[in-house]
Amino acid sequence: MTYIEKPSISNVVKFDDPDVTQVKKLKVMLNTGTDIYQGACKKRGSTLKDEYRKVAGVCYMDPKDMARLGVGNWESILVKSDWGEVVCYAAHSRDAPHEGMIFIPKGPWANVVVSPETYCCSDPTYKGIKATVEKSDKEVLLMADLMRDVYKKYVKEGEETEELPSLGESPVYKKIRSQ
Amino acid sequence: MAYEEPVKDYDKIVENCTCAFCGSNCDDLDILVKDNHVAGVRHACRLGASKIMEDEDQRLLVPMVRDENGELVEVDWDTALDKAAELIAGSIRPVFYGWSETSIEAMKPGLELTELVGAVIDNQATICHGPTVQAVQNVGYPLMTLGEVKNRADMLVYTGSNPMNAHPRHLSRYTTYPKGFFRRRGRFDRTLVTWDPKFSDTAKLSDIWVPFEENGDYGFCNAIRAVLKGKELKQDVISGIPKEDIYELTEKMKNTKFGALFFGLGLTHTLSKQRNIDIAIQLVQDLNKYTKWVLLPMRGHFNVNGFNIFMSYEMGFPYGVDFSRGYPRYMIGETTTIDLLNRRECDVFMVIAADPGAHFPGGALAHLANIPVIQIDIHWGPSTEMADVVLPGTFIGVETAGTSYRMDSVPLYMKKAIDPPETCREDEWIVNELLQRVKNIKEASK
Ligand code: SF4
Repeated sequence: MTYIEKPSISNVVKFDDPDVTQVKKLKVMLNTGTDIYQGACKKRGSTLKDEYRKVAGVCYMDPKDMARLGVGNWESILVKSDWGEVVCYAAHSRDAPHEGMIFIPKGPWANVVVSPETYCCSDPTYKGIKATVEKSDKEVLLMADLMRDVYKKYVKEGEETEELPSLGESPVYKKIRSQ
Repeated sequence: MAYEEPVKDYDKIVENCTCAFCGSNCDDLDILVKDNHVAGVRHACRLGASKIMEDEDQRLLVPMVRDENGELVEVDWDTALDKAAELIAGSIRPVFYGWSETSIEAMKPGLELTELVGAVIDNQATICHGPTVQAVQNVGYPLMTLGEVKNRADMLVYTGSNPMNAHPRHLSRYTTYPKGFFRRRGRFDRTLVTWDPKFSDTAKLSDIWVPFEENGDYGFCNAIRAVLKGKELKQDVISGIPKEDIYELTEKMKNTKFGALFFGLGLTHTLSKQRNIDIAIQLVQDLNKYTKWVLLPMRGHFNVNGFNIFMSYEMGFPYGVDFSRGYPRYMIGETTTIDLLNRRECDVFMVIAADPGAHFPGGALAHLANIPVIQIDIHWGPSTEMADVVLPGTFIGVETAGTSYRMDSVPLYMKKAIDPPETCREDEWIVNELLQRVKNIKEASK
């Protein structure tokens, strides 16, 4: 019987772990799903704020995998799958150890890399996706900027989303009274 | 977390409100009201409390329409409703998606509108427990109510779900911790089992954790079924679990008095999808040869089950119902939202009380960038970034009363505690208005 033995994990990533060899790119299995911090922030409605980026734009990793890539908590990583690529924060998973598996809570960041394939079952494949992780020097985007950057719905032709000013952390709309 | 002083500054307490967050629909919340504002809430979990104590900075308060520069502009209700009605009346393949975070009352005019324009109506089940509904249609539904579990169950199995994160009071209110009629000592009389590849927060509380490998759920459930049927397991390790452990667990499951299996999206989102659930349901059926076992899907939103029940009752199909031919049709993989978006088929998308921007895969969302999107919601969210018409609704369970169905299909009437903001309208009113306006447009063009 597999009884629970609390795995002892440290809260620091040990970069000099002797079992760990540094790599540039890591092949991983990506899972997404809900998580209490993401749920609370999303349903409260604080999706434009930095807080949402910190709870949903984050990739929970095994500390050994983090050491392999040489990334610490809250450093940027690039997650790539067959469906897209997105920059998110790396963070020490509280469910570790789970080497070779990463978890991104559901939200706009995870959406970019999950598979829309439903295999005729109505339900896209949100879990068990092959992905790669590498270190990145880009900033994780705020929700509004990410939506603009990825889907470009209201971006005019010839405009580069990266050069546009950030949409910020509060709703942007024209008020009647200010006109 | 730092200690916070209890809220003492309030005018009145509205007792026994129902939480409008997850499928547990806890109906024992006390909302503390001051000056028609929520000052605090008692008994709710972290999730429920965060939703009720909403972020007012991002509350949608006024109707908005995009101008030619792609900027949202505040407009009056008439302009916004006319614009939305015009889009709906002029569309060929509209999809009305959402409904799980609104009341049954708002679904009624929604269904009428769907029939009138020949649209597809669908809810969040399409991206969460859709496969469960299909499996239930395949092999049956050995269901119970949560009260039975509370009073009788002595073994609880959670698989592919993490209630400590998604339904935080599920364990304490219904299943594991409460004292029941036949389980007088509460937690001590029950065995909590988690099957999950991850050492999740629920697994950390469990007596037994079975960490099968990724996508190993199908094999693992089948192995238990084989053992139940008296077969020998030929492999030493199945789905990452040694066979001795499987024998031992099966024996325990056979020897309980009343077992309950709860499963979540871990089963429906992996590769075997509805086949996973088929096997889980059949496992429960097999266990019933020995003792009493039941199962329940862990539904996410507070009224996602309500929509499925409402649609099954009204139209005979649970979700993804297409009226384009004038009569209801339901064909998984064809009339379901993600498939329609993947095939770039729909031409107007109305989202009510849902947030596809946060929950749809990018491949499907990309199509929303090509077509007009109408949003009815209470908060500025990822979907607002893609919406062309925004209609601000009211908060069911706090500002508006309404009916919802708990995950075990028990209907609950949700009270209201405060009055909605003056500029917002109830979902039911908005959908009704859209219906009337679309009717007028159709009449005029005859
Ligand atoms: S468990 Fe669910 S229904 Fe109950 S208070 Fe928490 S979020 Fe609300």
